[in-house]
Parts: sequence; structure tokens; C-alpha cells
Amino acid sequence: MKRVFGIVGWIVVAALGAGALGSIALHRGEPLNATWFVVAAVCCYLVAYRLYSAFVAAKVLTLDDTRATPCERHDDGRDFVPTNKWVLFGHHFAAIAGPGPLVGPTLAAQFGYLPGTLWLIAGAAFAGCVQDFVILFCSIRRDGKSIGQMAREEVSERGGFIAQLAVLAIMTILLAVIGLVVVNALKSSPWATFTLAMTIPIALLLGLYLRFVRPGRVLEASVMGVALVLFVVVAGQWVADSPSWARVFTLSGVALAFAIIAYGFAASALPVWLLLAPRDYLSAFIKAGAIFSLAAGILFVRPQVLMPPLTRFIDGTGPVFAGKIFPFCFITIACGAISGFHSLISSGTTPKMILRESHARFIGYGAMLLESFVGVMAMVAACAMPPGVYFAINSPPSIVGGAGDAAARTISGWGYPLQAQTMTDLAHKVGEITLWNRAGGAPSLAVGMAQIFSSTIGGERLLSIWYHFAIMFEALFILTVLDAGTRVGRFMVQDLGGRFWKPFGRTGWMPGVLLSSAVIVALWGYFLYQGVVDPLGGINSLWPLFGISNQLLAAVALVVATTILMKMGRLRWIWVTLLPMAWLVTITMTASYQKIFDANPRIGFLAYAKALAAQIAAGTIPAEKIAETHRLIFNQRLDAAVTGVLAIMILVLIVEALAHWYSILSRRKESQLHESPYIATRWAPDFSGTAHGDD
Amino acid sequence: MQRAAKSTSRLLRRFWRGLREWCGDAAYERYLRSKGRQSSSSRPLTPAEFYVEQLNRRYSRPNRCC
Repeated sequence: MKRVFGIVGWIVVAALGAGALGSIALHRGEPLNATWFVVAAVCCYLVAYRLYSAFVAAKVLTLDDTRATPCERHDDGRDFVPTNKWVLFGHHFAAIAGPGPLVGPTLAAQFGYLPGTLWLIAGAAFAGCVQDFVILFCSIRRDGKSIGQMAREEVSERGGFIAQLAVLAIMTILLAVIGLVVVNALKSSPWATFTLAMTIPIALLLGLYLRFVRPGRVLEASVMGVALVLFVVVAGQWVADSPSWARVFTLSGVALAFAIIAYGFAASALPVWLLLAPRDYLSAFIKAGAIFSLAAGILFVRPQVLMPPLTRFIDGTGPVFAGKIFPFCFITIACGAISGFHSLISSGTTPKMILRESHARFIGYGAMLLESFVGVMAMVAACAMPPGVYFAINSPPSIVGGAGDAAARTISGWGYPLQAQTMTDLAHKVGEITLWNRAGGAPSLAVGMAQIFSSTIGGERLLSIWYHFAIMFEALFILTVLDAGTRVGRFMVQDLGGRFWKPFGRTGWMPGVLLSSAVIVALWGYFLYQGVVDPLGGINSLWPLFGISNQLLAAVALVVATTILMKMGRLRWIWVTLLPMAWLVTITMTASYQKIFDANPRIGFLAYAKALAAQIAAGTIPAEKIAETHRLIFNQRLDAAVTGVLAIMILVLIVEALAHWYSILSRRKESQLHESPYIATRWAPDFSGTAHGDD
Repeated sequence: MQRAAKSTSRLLRRFWRGLREWCGDAAYERYLRSKGRQSSSSRPLTPAEFYVEQLNRRYSRPNRCC
């Protein structure tokens, strides 16, 4: 009887999900309520988790709970720590959830709400979650080895080296692009700049407290820190209202870029306990709070989605970034559906803390579903504002003709009515000087979030506070990724440099620390600066470059996963990783080709360089701008070269993997699996592992 | 009523313990317990030493994502 109820219950969930998805896809005319998005997403996730992840766990991976996991075999209280599955889910989610699922869907909303929402749901269920789950499983079976080590052992030496280089390249582009998102969020905004700047002394204070006053008392320090951060969000208004202080904190894009570069260098070179770790604590608490508040806000307010399902920009002429739905919607959404970067986490800390193999399903597959849900919420927040306002915030001046009436006329001409006064009023209400041309996703998401929050608490009176809370939340945890990423990048540079000159590889040697920090900061800082001065808005070039590199890393992870499945003798099921891999290779290679060779200067890097060179030759560039234009031409060619090198690296890895697969299948080579030997667990089946002795 | 209060208090205790584990507040206690289970005779680290050592290790590999 219970089984019958269970089956009926799942049929109801599936029918509800299908109905809600149908409403989203087929709805035309009147605005749609956001509740449909939540229902569709949640029902699809439940069904995917119940059926698909169970199938992957049982048939493809055959998880074995009698097998001791790395934390049981190597329990050292430091890296290898038996951890309760709910706690580890929280750890894993906090590690994988970054700005990507918030910014990507917000940018992809230029195609309308439909393509992005469908890819967020389907991409996560069939690709992103599978990647995270399978890589986590593979790493558990190999004592928590990293994706690079697994690529080296299971595919080839060269495969491992390519994966390592790909990670460094992706890290560089990722740090530049998220830096650009922060610059565009803080540009000409004394309130937001003050708030974010103040998080640095707050973090230093917490760092000193946690190091010298109450070592390791993270919870109490974080509570104090969060209270101080909330106070500076409110205090930012006083700064913005004071003409002399507002001048101090009103910075141009270039000034902000240099400030972020200096911050990245400091965070990488200073002791980790002083600045980086306490900022991370603050960010983790505020991130968790903001995400849950946004979900609650959407459910409570149930906003109308004003963006149409499809906009005219599916033809590739979008103002936010150029390119058609295929492949650019998939490239842009990136982390909300599948993120190669997650494979670093799934083969990093998590496998060393997992209690049982079966927990990999909940943690690997489940956490990615939650991340996808964050993406759907970001899509709802972006689409809940009038489309005209969305395009006004996210379009660069060179596309809409500056700001004010001229820009409003351009946007209205696209079929999205907008009056310049609307933008002036909105900027005034959220406490900003202007909201025109603030590409990058963060300001438009903050407007969307502020409108949802203020409809719940405070009304229009608190709109400015909510807006700056949202900006602070986004910028704070973007900078956390930036400083943690810079530090990891520094270690990678030291590791590579140490092969040629031993002392450089020593992580405690100060000249090496300073030099390697300078190298990694210079690498991403160069791309950041280039994005800030790009007249087309750096997002148009950098975000697709980031998306391509991130998805390429996912392809690397899926190549490794497919190879391992093949070696495990699961040939019958390798389509589970092979199909998403083939899809990713198709979209990334198409996007790479278009970004390099497309004849449209807004899409193709080389075409843009050629157009600029033609303008110089025709004498249409003023003399004082010629040097700058030459620099732009060089940058476009550099972007083309980076895209090309990334694509070639992955093609080499795939060819390498294909040759390896052929030799396994044709039995020319003995397939050798590098799993740790089986050791039976000694833990009781009901051991939940919060800590030995607690349960 | 009493049963409901008991289960609520148990739930809150679990939540509190989970929160401390999640944010790293309980890391030193966990380390001491693990140290106690091992037969090694070396001196356990002090809370300050453990805190710095743990952070240096955690932030030397990718631990935050995009």
C-alpha cells in the first residue's frame, strides 16, 4: 500500500512539473507568475534526483557502502575528517556556489526567460549534477585525488598536464571576468564602494580576533562581522549623502580595477588568517542568508515575470553580448547548469570528508541541483523587471547611444518601451547616481532582488538599502572567489616555477611569494583592465571567454569520468557521461570558432581587430586615440589566441582519450584502473559521523 | 506537549552542532578527538597553531568556485 502511495505521489510530482514547464514554455501574452518557475524547477529536480541520480548510483557507479571511504582510512582530524552528510552538503554547496549562477542567467535573460530556464533545469539534471556526482565518486575511490592527478593516471601523462594548464588558464580568465563584474557594480557608486571597502577593515579585525583573542571561534566572530557589515550597508547612505565623502568613494572603472588588482595581490601575499579567511567566513554567512531570503522572497511576493519567453535577440544581435542562442546561451549560463570548476571541488576537499559512498549522490548530485535552483531564482529576479529597464542597465553605451533620451529611444525602438525618466527615478530610489550602462549582471540582479525584498519588508522606503545589501552580497562573495582564486593561482605558479628553479617553489620563501603573487595578479589584472577600457563593454568579450573555458574544463572532467567508467567495465552506461561530454565539446568548439573567426566584429575577435585596423587606415580614428586603438587591436588578437589555445588543448586531450579508449576496447592495452584497494568499513551502519562520540 | 518540546530541543541541538561543524567552529575539538584516537605521542597543537595550520592548508587548493 505504501509503495502504491509512493508511486502515485511521484506521478503527481512529475505531472505538476510537466504542467508548470508547459505553462512556462507555451505561455504567451499576459505576464507569467514566478511561482510557475519555482514549481517547474522544484518538481523537475525532485524527479531527476529520485529517478536519474538513483539510476546513476545503482547501475552506473554501483555505490558500495561496505567500502571504507578515505576519511575512515586516513582519519587525521585535518583533511580526512568523517563528516555528517548534511554538514558536508553545506560545505560542498558553499564551495561550489559562486557568482556564476547569479550572473550567467541574468546575462542570458537577454534571449528571454525560456532558453535559459530550460537549460538551467535540463543541463543541471543531465550534465552538471552528473559531472559533480561521478567525479566525486571517482575521487572517493582514489583517496581524494584531484582531477589533474586522475587525468594523469587514468588518461595519460599529457592529459594530466593539459588539465593542470587548463585550470590555470581558466582561473586567470575567471578572476578577470568576476573582477569586471565588481568594477561595473561599484563604478560611480560611492555607497556601494564604501560598503565593500569597509569589509576589508572588518575582515582584518576579525582576523586578529580569531588569531590572537579567541583562536578558531569562527561562529562568534562571524556574528560580529555580519552585524558590522550590515551596519556599513546602512552607513553607506550617509557617505553617499555627504558631498565630500561621496567624492572620495566615487571611483572610475579604471581606478576600481587597480584597487581590485592591489587587493588581490595583498590577499595572496598576506598571511591567510589576516584577510582572506575572515572575509570568506563573512561571505559564507551572508551568501547563505541572501540565497535563502531570495527564495523566500520569490515565494512570498510571487512577482510577475515581465520579460517575454523569447526576445528579438535570439538572432544574435543582443546588446548585452552578441551571438545566437546556440551556442551562446549555453556558454553564458555556465555554472548554473554545468561548471567544470566544480570538478576541482568534487575532487578536492569533499571526497576526503565523505562518510559513505552513497552520500556522494546527495552531496554531488543534490548540491548541484540547489545551485541550479539559485540560477533559476536569478533568472526570475532579472526577468521580473520591465525588459526596457533590464536592457538599459545591461547594455553598453556604444550600443544604445549613451544614456538618457537617446538610449531610451533606442531601447523603445527594439520593442521594449522605456522612458529616460523611469531610469532616473529608479536610480534615485536605489540611491545610485545612474543605472544606465551597468553591464555585468550584478546591478540588474541587485535591482531585481531589491524589488523582491522591498515588496516583502519596508516597501519603496527601503529599496535603496535592499539594493545596496544585494550589491554588497554579490561583490563580497565575488571578491572572496577572487582572493581565494588568486592565492591558489599563486601556488600553481610557484609549483610550475619550482620545476625550473627550486627556491621559487617554496611556499614560505617571501621573494617567491611576492613574485608569484605578482605574476598571477598581472595575468588576470591585464584581462580585467582590457575589459574595463573595452568600448564594447568588456562583458561582451570576457564573459563568453570565461564560459568557454569553464565548459571546456567540464569537458575535461567528463573525458576523465568516461575513461574511468570504461575501465570499470560499464561500457553499457558510458552514455551517461559521454553524451554531456559530446554536447559540451560541440558548444565550446562552435563558440570558440565563432569567437575567433565570425565576420561580425561584435562576435569575432579577429573581425573586430580587422574593423579597427580598417578605421585607422581610413583615418576615421582621431590621432590621440590611435595608440589606444592599436592596443585594442592587440587585445582582440590576444583573446583570439587564448580561445584558440584553450580549444586546441582540449582537442589534444580528446584525441588522446579517444586513442586510449580505442586501445582499451580493442584490448591492445590492458586497462588498468587506479582505484584504492577495497577495505571493508568498520563503522556501524547507523554511524552519522558528526564527530566520534557525539552520536 | 513535553514530547514536542523534547524533540524541538533535540532538533535545535542538532542544528547548532551542524552549524558549528559547517562553519569550522568545532574544527579544533574534532582535531583533538581524532588525535586522542591515534596512538601518536606527539604534543597536540594549541588552538592558535591548529587554526593557522588548518587555514594555510585549506587555502592552498581550490576551495571556492565560480
